[in-house]
Amino acid sequence: MAFKLASSPHLSTKAQTRGLMFKVMLCALPGVLAQCYFFGWGTLIQIALAIAIAVATEAAVLKLRARPVGKTISDNSAALTGLLIGVAIPALAPWWIAAIGVVFAILVVKQLYGGLGNNIFNPAMAAYVMLLISFPVQMTTWVAPSGAALNDIGLMQSLSIIFQGADAEQILAYRAGIDGVTMATPLDAVKTGLSTGLTLDEILTKASFSDGFGIGWAAINLAYLAGGLVMLKLKLIRWQISTAILASLFVCASIGYLLSPDTHMGPLMHLFSGATMLAAFFIATDPVTAATSTRGRLIFGALIGLLVYLIRSFGGYPDAFAFAVLLANLCAPFIDYYVKPRAYGHRASR
Amino acid sequence: MLTLLEQIDKGTLWRIPGGIHPPEHKSLSNQSEIARLPLADHYLIPVPGVGENCTLAVKVGDAVTKGQALTMGEGFRHLPVHAPVSGKVIAIEERASNHASALPVLTCVIENDHQEQWTDSVHGPLSPEQVAEMDSDTIIRRIQAAGIAGLGGAAFPTHIKLKPVSDIELLIINGVECEPYISSDDRLMQEACDEIVRGIAIIHQLLNPKRIIVAIEDNKPKAIEQMEHALNRSQLPNHCARVNKIPTLYPSGGEKQLIQILTGQEVPSGAIPANLGILVQNVGTAYSIAQAVYRNMPLIERVVTLTGQNVAKPGNYWVPIGTPVEHLLEVAQFRGDTNAPVIIGGPMMGYMLPDVAAPITKGTNCVLMPSEQEVAPPSPEQPCIRCGECAQACPAQLLPQQLFWHAKAQEYDKAASYNLRDCIECGCCSYVCPSDIPLVEYYRVAKSALRQEAEEKKQAELAKQRFDSRTLRLEQEKRAREEKAKQAAERRKAQMTGSDKDAVAAAMARIKAKKAADEQSSTGSTTDKPQDKVAAAIARAKAKKAAQKGDATTATETAEQQTSTPRATSADNGDSATLSQKEKVAAAIARAKAKKAAQNAPESGDTSQTPAQETEANAPLSQKEKVAAAIARAKAKKAAQASASDEQVTPSESQTNIQNGARDGAKASSPETIKKAKIAAAVAKAKANKAAQASAGDEQVAPSESQTNIQNGAQDGSQDGDKTSTPEAIKKAKIAAAVAKAKAKKAAQVSASDEQAAPSESQTNIQNGAQDRAQDDGNASSPEAIKKAKIAAAVAKAKAKKAAQASASDEQVAPSESQTNNQDGALDGAQDGDKTSPPEAIKKAKIAAAVAKAKAKKLAKAQAETPNNEHKD
Repeated sequence: MAFKLASSPHLSTKAQTRGLMFKVMLCALPGVLAQCYFFGWGTLIQIALAIAIAVATEAAVLKLRARPVGKTISDNSAALTGLLIGVAIPALAPWWIAAIGVVFAILVVKQLYGGLGNNIFNPAMAAYVMLLISFPVQMTTWVAPSGAALNDIGLMQSLSIIFQGADAEQILAYRAGIDGVTMATPLDAVKTGLSTGLTLDEILTKASFSDGFGIGWAAINLAYLAGGLVMLKLKLIRWQISTAILASLFVCASIGYLLSPDTHMGPLMHLFSGATMLAAFFIATDPVTAATSTRGRLIFGALIGLLVYLIRSFGGYPDAFAFAVLLANLCAPFIDYYVKPRAYGHRASR
Repeated sequence: MLTLLEQIDKGTLWRIPGGIHPPEHKSLSNQSEIARLPLADHYLIPVPGVGENCTLAVKVGDAVTKGQALTMGEGFRHLPVHAPVSGKVIAIEERASNHASALPVLTCVIENDHQEQWTDSVHGPLSPEQVAEMDSDTIIRRIQAAGIAGLGGAAFPTHIKLKPVSDIELLIINGVECEPYISSDDRLMQEACDEIVRGIAIIHQLLNPKRIIVAIEDNKPKAIEQMEHALNRSQLPNHCARVNKIPTLYPSGGEKQLIQILTGQEVPSGAIPANLGILVQNVGTAYSIAQAVYRNMPLIERVVTLTGQNVAKPGNYWVPIGTPVEHLLEVAQFRGDTNAPVIIGGPMMGYMLPDVAAPITKGTNCVLMPSEQEVAPPSPEQPCIRCGECAQACPAQLLPQQLFWHAKAQEYDKAASYNLRDCIECGCCSYVCPSDIPLVEYYRVAKSALRQEAEEKKQAELAKQRFDSRTLRLEQEKRAREEKAKQAAERRKAQMTGSDKDAVAAAMARIKAKKAADEQSSTGSTTDKPQDKVAAAIARAKAKKAAQKGDATTATETAEQQTSTPRATSADNGDSATLSQKEKVAAAIARAKAKKAAQNAPESGDTSQTPAQETEANAPLSQKEKVAAAIARAKAKKAAQASASDEQVTPSESQTNIQNGARDGAKASSPETIKKAKIAAAVAKAKANKAAQASAGDEQVAPSESQTNIQNGAQDGSQDGDKTSTPEAIKKAKIAAAVAKAKAKKAAQVSASDEQAAPSESQTNIQNGAQDRAQDDGNASSPEAIKKAKIAAAVAKAKAKKAAQASASDEQVAPSESQTNNQDGALDGAQDGDKTSPPEAIKKAKIAAAVAKAKAKKLAKAQAETPNNEHKD
């Protein structure tokens, strides 16, 4: 008799990488919907565009690398990268922004390093940083949240703006004609305001801060928080990184706010503006580029929180998650090397 | 702060890191009582230890009774195996083993006669009182004789475990059975709890632990209940034993994990639980211990869980050890096709059996026959996404993905640095891996690679130790031989007759006289007497030497001047045989000078060589002339070499000189002449060698040179023996030659103190020495001669070796070189024995020759660090 031999264990969980990635995307849905609600169809278009290009790029590269295309594509990791880039770029940015970013993320950041599991940097964040530095105007021109702009840009309008090369000035003109408010993200507004000598209180009296955090942004962050909690519940991610990021950011922001409330945003504003929740639950938790041990992940998360606070408060960019995550990615192997758990039967090491 | 024992009494449990909750599937097999299956016709008892620590107690064709031991062994580690049924041994041959590899192992095949004839030693149960009176040794002996091994799976001999190195404070009876599907311990605890507790009591009697914990997972409530009742009924001391219900979590049943759960302690890496004062025994083992001690019943059957959806009658069965798995498949109605897996053990740590002809062993607790829905074929491996779930699941708190990373890259040393060897291969990491990576398989490969590496290292270390001890032994043998040789030499000296001594003394005196003459001749006065002539020759030689030392140009000029004179002389008198003495001396000197000059000033070489050759052609020279010529040549060499302290002496030149001198000696016919000539020749050679070697302190003396010299000397000696007929002459000549050679060698050795010989040489020496001896035996005819010759040869060889080794340590001497030398020497000795007829002569000649040869070898080896073949003409 000849059996097909296999090594133990002969049992395995049903959990698969592809299911994991897919569930993560589903959990991002509340946040995505919230973004759509506030920024219009553009967000969805960008997401669809990014996912399509991501999968196509991955397939092309895998073919070039003579790897199984179908099997690898179906792990959904490229799609997740596309989704994260799609939600990170402004809703009405021209289509080539998404295209360049996604191709860069998949081709350079991921596949050139050996594909899934081998990349050092978070592909979505590396692409975002590349875009932010290369195309600062397009990447910072956010459409006014509908609550502030009091109008909704239609699907066809969005498509034409994205694909027919409406440049930033047109968008600005378009928007200016509607409500006359120059749009920037709340964090951008705070940064600009502080740099022009205004106090935080004065900045927050502006219309776009009518709900205290910047219209729409708090809701979006809450939606991502909800998705993140579901992921924790489903054990798609472990709690360490997200918790460490939020705690570290909260602590740092509290210290800054207590020392100088006029020039520093409060801890809650830090937590519920910008990309905080998206990054804390969906981006920094990318296992490939994060630290792996429990303690290592706490350190990794805390490092991101600290860097975000420092860059937001003292750096040149209004939001900082992309930079913070990339810097922490750099530290992950180092953290892993020095933060090894004590193995059974061994004395505490180091 | 509670002590550990107090905490145990409170029932405190600790948590282990990691662990998983795989589907249990225990109800498939644990619903019915342990049953029996129809017996097989053949039983296979592997006897792998045969030839190592035991021998077979039966042979093919023997009838065996049920429970009869099949192996005999004396050692404490020996674990006998027994016939599970009565019948006949029909084969003892290699059969497939119950192992993931199914590698064949020596197996005793027993044909079942279905008579169930028990062996005599098994008896009815003793009373507990009788057992309580047994001493520990008797109990341990009974357990060993019963062949009890750990029934939890590892099958480690129980009697060894029951003689722990340290005091046991805590006895843990492992009834956890955390693997899915398996329920053999569960059923045994339900049905034979009292027998198990009797076994526990026996272990208690042996080790007297302070506490006994029976650990059972909380998914076996009936077993817990039964065991608690049985403990309450038992005679174990109050509050000593308790049942601990532990939460269901795989792999709580692992020894290390169970200790951590029950005590919070960790078994240090590389240690065993006994180091912590803890002993863990499986419930099945406790049962078998009771059987062995109460009834002298060997371990010939055990409870095996047959389960899985591919079997029609899942359940627990008493299965004789040695039952072929295929028999079980048959009687339990296996439903799978030929490709359906059969797993020995549970689904987490069990292995698929490649060959179902393999037998059930003492460690087989389960045969799992899963359907494809239960155990799917392994899915293809996907890239690791570093999710870290494996690290969360690892009960040993390792970093499985780092281990995987390094194991896959075959960086086994790095994998080892991540504590690979602490991996218990529980399979939790593979179980949780979303990328379906067979992590445990990678670790197994890495572990075996590391084991192999360690094994190779161990072998290399052993080889080194062997080599070192061999070297030491050879050294000691050599020293012992030397000691013996020294004693022999002293005896020989004491036995020497007066005449021998006189002869030696006479030779020495002559040598001294010559030396004195040399010294006196520095004034350079020339008279008609032979002695004066010699002196004159010497003086001239020295003058040349001085000249050469002073100035290179002058040297060349001198050489030219001097070469012109003999050329004229020899040209004039080339055919005349009646040359006057003076002329001849002058001619000889001239030749010597010419050579020397040629060496120092190569440009004049062409001219100077011609006359020298011509002069040599002149046939039979008188005695005195020859002496003078020899001395002159010797001095010339000496001078040449002394002045050549910075340059390289052309060795072939001096070599040729000596050969010439030797030839001269050989050609002389009158005994008187022979004697003197030889002495002179010997002295000359000796001095030449000495000088050459002394001056060569810093430079490399081409080693083949001195070697060749000595060879020549040896040949001289033998030629002397050949051609001269007078015994008297032979004797003296040889002594003289020997002394001269000996001195030369000595000098050479002193100067060669920095140079080294290879150690392998000494071995060669010894071999050659042996050969020498043999040849001496064969060739020499007189018993007297043989005896002396042998002693002398031995002494000489011993000395030679000693010297060579003393100077030897760093550089490598081409061993073949020295070997050749020795062989030459040996041949010489043999020739001596053959050709000289008078016994007296044989004796002396041999002594001298042997001494000379030995020394020659020694010297040659000491110096021969750069074998320079071009000088060997």
